[in-house]
Amino acid sequence: MKRLSLVFSMFFMSIGLLLAQSTVSGTITDDLGDPLIGASVLVKGTSVGTVTDLDGKYSIEVPSGSDVLTISYTGYQTQEKTIGSATVIDVSMSEGIMLDEMVVTAIGIEREEKALGYAVQQVKGDEITRSGASSAVDALVGKASGVQITRSSGSVGGGSRILIRGVTSMVGNNQPLIVIDGVRTNNQTLLSQGSTAGTAASNRLMDLNPDDIESINVLKGAAATALYGTAGATGVVLITTKKGNNQNRVDVNFSSSASFDQITNMIDLQSEFAQGRTSGGELIWRSPATGESGSWGPKISDLEYATDPNHPNAPTHARDFDANGVYRWDPNGFLVPRGTGNGQAANTYNNVDPFFQTGMTFTNSLSLAGGNELMTFRLSGSDLRASGVVPNEEYDRKTVKLASSITPLEGLTISGSVNFTKSDYVRVQQGSNVSGLLLGMLRTPASFDNTNGLGADRANSTIDASAYEFADRSQRTYRGGGGYDNPYWIINNALGYEDVSRTFGNVKADYRLNNWLGFGINIGYDLTSDERKQDFEIGSRTAPLGRIRLAEFNVKQYDNYFNVLGSGNVTEDVNLSYLAGVNAFSYDENRTFADGSGLVFPGFLDISNATNVTSSQDANRYRSLGFFGQVEASWRGTLYATLSARQDYDSRLGNPADFKLEDTGFFYPSASLAFVFSELMNTSSFLSFGKLRLSWAQVGAGPPTAYSTQSVFVVPTISSWGSALNFPVGGVTGFDQSSLLGNPNLTPELTTTTEIGLDLRFLNGRLGLDATYYKGKVEDAILNASLALATGYSNVWLNSGEMTSQGIELTLNATPVEARDFAWNTQINFTKSENIVEELAPGVERLFLAGFNTAGTYLVKGNQYGAIFGGAYLREEAGTASDTDLNIPGGQVVINDNPEDNEYGFQAVDPKARAIGNPNPDFIIGWNNTLNYKNFTFNFLLDWREGGDLWNGTAWALSFFGRSQLTADTRQEAPTPIAGVKSDGTPNDIPVVRDRSYWTSSLGGFGAIGEQFVQDGGWVRLREVGLSYRFPATKWSKGGSVGVSGRNLWFTTEYDGIDPETSLTGTGNGQGFDYFNMPSSKSVMLKLSLDF
Amino acid sequence: MKLLNKILFICLIFFSLASCEDYIEGDAINSDPNNPTSVPISAQLPAFQIQIADMTGGDFSRFNCMLVQQIEGVARQWSSFNQYTGLTPNRFDSGWRDVYENVLNEVKIARANAVENGYNHHQGILNVLEAYTMQMATDVWDDMPYSDALQGVDALNPTYDTQAEIYAAVFSLLDQGVAQLSGPPGPLSLGSEDVFYGGNTANWIAAARALKARALLKQNNYSGAASEAAAAFADASQNMAFQYPDVNAAGPYFRFNVSGREGDLEFNPQMRGLLESLNDTRLGMMDGTFNADHPYLVADFYQEMVTFREMQFIIAEDDVRAGGSQAGHDAYLAGIKASFARFGLDDAAYEAYVAQPEIDPGVGNLTLEQVMTQKYIAMYLQPETYSDWRRTGIPALTPTSGTVIPVRWNYSANEFLFNANSPDEASVDIYNDRVGWNR
Repeated sequence: MKRLSLVFSMFFMSIGLLLAQSTVSGTITDDLGDPLIGASVLVKGTSVGTVTDLDGKYSIEVPSGSDVLTISYTGYQTQEKTIGSATVIDVSMSEGIMLDEMVVTAIGIEREEKALGYAVQQVKGDEITRSGASSAVDALVGKASGVQITRSSGSVGGGSRILIRGVTSMVGNNQPLIVIDGVRTNNQTLLSQGSTAGTAASNRLMDLNPDDIESINVLKGAAATALYGTAGATGVVLITTKKGNNQNRVDVNFSSSASFDQITNMIDLQSEFAQGRTSGGELIWRSPATGESGSWGPKISDLEYATDPNHPNAPTHARDFDANGVYRWDPNGFLVPRGTGNGQAANTYNNVDPFFQTGMTFTNSLSLAGGNELMTFRLSGSDLRASGVVPNEEYDRKTVKLASSITPLEGLTISGSVNFTKSDYVRVQQGSNVSGLLLGMLRTPASFDNTNGLGADRANSTIDASAYEFADRSQRTYRGGGGYDNPYWIINNALGYEDVSRTFGNVKADYRLNNWLGFGINIGYDLTSDERKQDFEIGSRTAPLGRIRLAEFNVKQYDNYFNVLGSGNVTEDVNLSYLAGVNAFSYDENRTFADGSGLVFPGFLDISNATNVTSSQDANRYRSLGFFGQVEASWRGTLYATLSARQDYDSRLGNPADFKLEDTGFFYPSASLAFVFSELMNTSSFLSFGKLRLSWAQVGAGPPTAYSTQSVFVVPTISSWGSALNFPVGGVTGFDQSSLLGNPNLTPELTTTTEIGLDLRFLNGRLGLDATYYKGKVEDAILNASLALATGYSNVWLNSGEMTSQGIELTLNATPVEARDFAWNTQINFTKSENIVEELAPGVERLFLAGFNTAGTYLVKGNQYGAIFGGAYLREEAGTASDTDLNIPGGQVVINDNPEDNEYGFQAVDPKARAIGNPNPDFIIGWNNTLNYKNFTFNFLLDWREGGDLWNGTAWALSFFGRSQLTADTRQEAPTPIAGVKSDGTPNDIPVVRDRSYWTSSLGGFGAIGEQFVQDGGWVRLREVGLSYRFPATKWSKGGSVGVSGRNLWFTTEYDGIDPETSLTGTGNGQGFDYFNMPSSKSVMLKLSLDF
Repeated sequence: MKLLNKILFICLIFFSLASCEDYIEGDAINSDPNNPTSVPISAQLPAFQIQIADMTGGDFSRFNCMLVQQIEGVARQWSSFNQYTGLTPNRFDSGWRDVYENVLNEVKIARANAVENGYNHHQGILNVLEAYTMQMATDVWDDMPYSDALQGVDALNPTYDTQAEIYAAVFSLLDQGVAQLSGPPGPLSLGSEDVFYGGNTANWIAAARALKARALLKQNNYSGAASEAAAAFADASQNMAFQYPDVNAAGPYFRFNVSGREGDLEFNPQMRGLLESLNDTRLGMMDGTFNADHPYLVADFYQEMVTFREMQFIIAEDDVRAGGSQAGHDAYLAGIKASFARFGLDDAAYEAYVAQPEIDPGVGNLTLEQVMTQKYIAMYLQPETYSDWRRTGIPALTPTSGTVIPVRWNYSANEFLFNANSPDEASVDIYNDRVGWNR
């Protein structure tokens, strides 16, 4: 700290050396003389800049030594004006193409887009806000090529996964680095339970109010991100937030929106057959008290109600009737064959659609921005209150942000921002757990009413407790109190709460001594406190005795930079710029858990009510230090060459038992070239701009987690089937060697990427095409390689992986129509990326990422990243020379033709698990359109994802229970042979009916086969559509807008279930699972925005 | 340029190599603060003892006792296991993991600690526990990695030992264990961290002999087994067992049946029929829905690894094979009596039961069928019942699917995937490949 304060004091000392500065003002107009509002005026070669006001006027302090103003405005040709002795400079802009647009690149350096040898794509703030998404990540969908975004669920407050150019790391984080105003910001998803169960989790970038975003720049390749080092290897999303102005006025913006959400589609359930099964050759209805799980009973239309406990078909379990002989499970009575009861036909209940409600989100935000030549500020606040489509799910977010800057002396700018966000969530359990909302809901037979006769009249969230529990508080579920929680019970008794307090921001000082020498220091911080509580009231199927789980996550992240930079003309033709700097990053995450079980009495959901409390702590800390440099040389605005290098030291490579600094260090270079060949051609009206980009870069990286250089002991959790056994056991605790073997010899992994791109603009920029092809390779990838368990360990950290990647990105921009009152702008973003796992570890051909036994995602040698691996049908060529042992072998499906076997006539089971699906899409296209007519704007975004398999675990499980429509259809089929061959190779001629015996065998739910439910998860959807009207300025307001927009209103897919845009494992690396995931939602939003 | 020089100088100091090293190494930044790199033996022992109890009553009990039709898989995955078709290699992953990673590797680490410090009694019980685990494992998996196992990255593909070699090691471990437990403890005595016996070396020695009896039985050395059995436990209080405390740390069946897998397993109708045919009053304790209300599969379960009553039936089996005597007959009745006691039934219930001539035909009239049937009932949910059934074919069982009941477990999928020295996956036939002692 002493040294740091010394540096500061040097800065302030140097202030005294500063010279006075001059002020320039003027008006910026278009070629018709109308003022341009918000045009950018920048002192060339500095970070000093401003924007024009409503009258097109600006005023700017020009540091001494600077003599050129750069004026730019979207859609207009950028101009440079020499200042000389002028104090007023008026500029008339002509519409044209943005040849010299400045873009923010790594470390916050603004560079001419023209000079870049790699792909960067910018998304403007208004595109973010008009998307109607409450999270910046969701708002990016379809707006940039090379970017893939997957929502985890329709739960309010659920997170999204973002990938730039597919995956980079084999087992580590693959989501891009998020940099806000120059410093890294936490976008983690922290899970408090396993990845396939628990509640939805947020990604922390959701804490940023989208209204505060000025622009988002997506840095895609390694050359673009090399200066960020290790953390940038996955791509970088650079977010620039809005700032104040220096126009001696205050701009006030108020916006308010209301959004209404509903669920999209659900899996097809059958409503034909009742709870029950075949017994004695007859289909019989079985009462809930039997615990019967399946809907394999008689047709509901063949049943009617009866109430007499002495009826010959009356159920006989003790829990079927109360003391007064009244049937307990349905107010109408129990079910008997038609003609033997009271004549009242059996009801068919829809336990799904009426459950969900219309979710509502109300957002209000207010911002004040202003300032003068000395200082600027922007203060904003927002308040979001959302209720989910699932009753009782909530998401509240409050944000406050202050950004300010002072320019005490010429050349010196000190700026800072502070964000405070409080996010509160109430969540419902989902996925693979018996308290998962859809698990019990979808399995409930159509003959059972989860509302106990209260029906659709009730208000969802306040439904009477008699729907889901009896007077003794035992649960009322279709399996007689066992099985799964009643959905209404869950939303009242098993909620998860999350309170996130987050503050992040930075303090920054930039000092420009002259063109050739400037300094910058940027100190960033990001502190997150996330307190969680998960309730399981007594009687929950997860914890019948009740359970309270508390978790507290504290994440502290500091990111500090010190840079030296400069630029200037060496000769008339050659311009040179340089940057050198150092970056110190520190990450400190601590988790504390407390788990209380065995509640004393119901109704008091607090850990003090628990009889057994265990707790644990978990930490993840690391630091890195990077020294970086970059030199850019340009020749006549035609040829730009950039060289950069970085030396990193990463604590995660250090071995505490034998620390050597050099073990933690690694060096990597990058080079890029931009050739603006159109400069050498005669200006033709057809091709107005052409650039070829070439780049090559290497990026090193340490292990994905801290502490991987040592083997440790852990307090084990003993688990197999059923619930786990946690230590301490009866007051005795114990330690166990971790199954993950540490490796003191880890070295950094290295990613090498080559990229070539072409940027062409035609017809004065009305048509533009940007194409990029890249190819990359990760070598010595650090992964937790699987070991044979007989070695005593299950995994070891090894530098053993190799993965190649390649991809194509295309962005097509066009303005097909442009008239005085009407314009149509369209943009198509195309993304195709492919990552192939080339090597894992010696002798290892697959590595588990996430999922289940029957179908899980793995890294599989020779396959695309994260292949779905699981049970497959036996094929003719299994075990022959053509069988790779990993992929599905050739030949037809072999049918089990052993008449003794229970699965006679069904597909035979391949004893080997196979790669049965590829969750990676073939390509993604976003087609974004904006039509302006006078003050009206109409926009729509079509989102097309081709391919990308999803394992439909919901359909798989529901087939076992006979709940899916599929099982209603197949059980009524005439006996037919299944396509395939018998063991002698002849065509199968064994007729079977795919009834309960089929769907509860290896071929159905919970059986060994996963292949039959791998489905194409591609879609075409109307992601956004909106219409807005912009008010002109009036006496009382500077303008504003009102609009209506829709999100996700329509989509089409071949997937047989909920919206395939879902991920059971949330934002993790293992994608491609649907197991009773929450359905997605569609929304309509009304928004009003006013400027004062 | 004076200013520039100053600033550069400061930067050099600020980021000098020394402070760089301090920043990257300082505060033991790469040491896991919540997980130690070494622990004393007393912190390690309870973890793997409880693991042994839990796998005995977990995978080993569920699969073995399902195959011998004491329990029945009726829902979800367990219905396909019950039909045998679902018994794919990946289903045996957790058992394999428990044996190698969670028990044997822990024993190895603890043993190195005990040897280094001269903790003789600890070495003794480690040998007994390893013998117990290897015997239970090889009885279902036959040949397994043993002498080449547990070497981490130094032997990535452990080679297989034959079952005969593994049994030789089991005998040797048990003999060593008895010798070590019979001598002085060294600088550290066993204490309450021994959750099976609380440090009672006499009980450990008895357990070692009981395990030896169990092993000799599979070598068809009935008299050897009987004499070890007779020298093992004086009564049921010496059983090698773990007492699960309460619902917060409940026994394996309670956790399976009540939390998460309720309805997957139920009492097997075959066994119900058998007990009904014998007017067996223990039926009431075994039957019923497998849920929180089950009379036997309670939260505070007493999980036995090897018992006095098993020893009585070993004595009775040897005796009946040799023609039958009073001693064997007494052992037979003592075994049944201990079983009644285990189910919480009183002496009167036991007396009434054995008063039936088909249960107790008198000295000299006992058949192997009767002894093994009673052992099958008395050993309800003990993994050892699967070995007894494979040895003797008693009770006679009808396959639930196909024509054959599997006679072994498949190897773990993990083994086929990651151990190049594992047998070819296609060559393992769970229906016909009998384990070494069963050929």
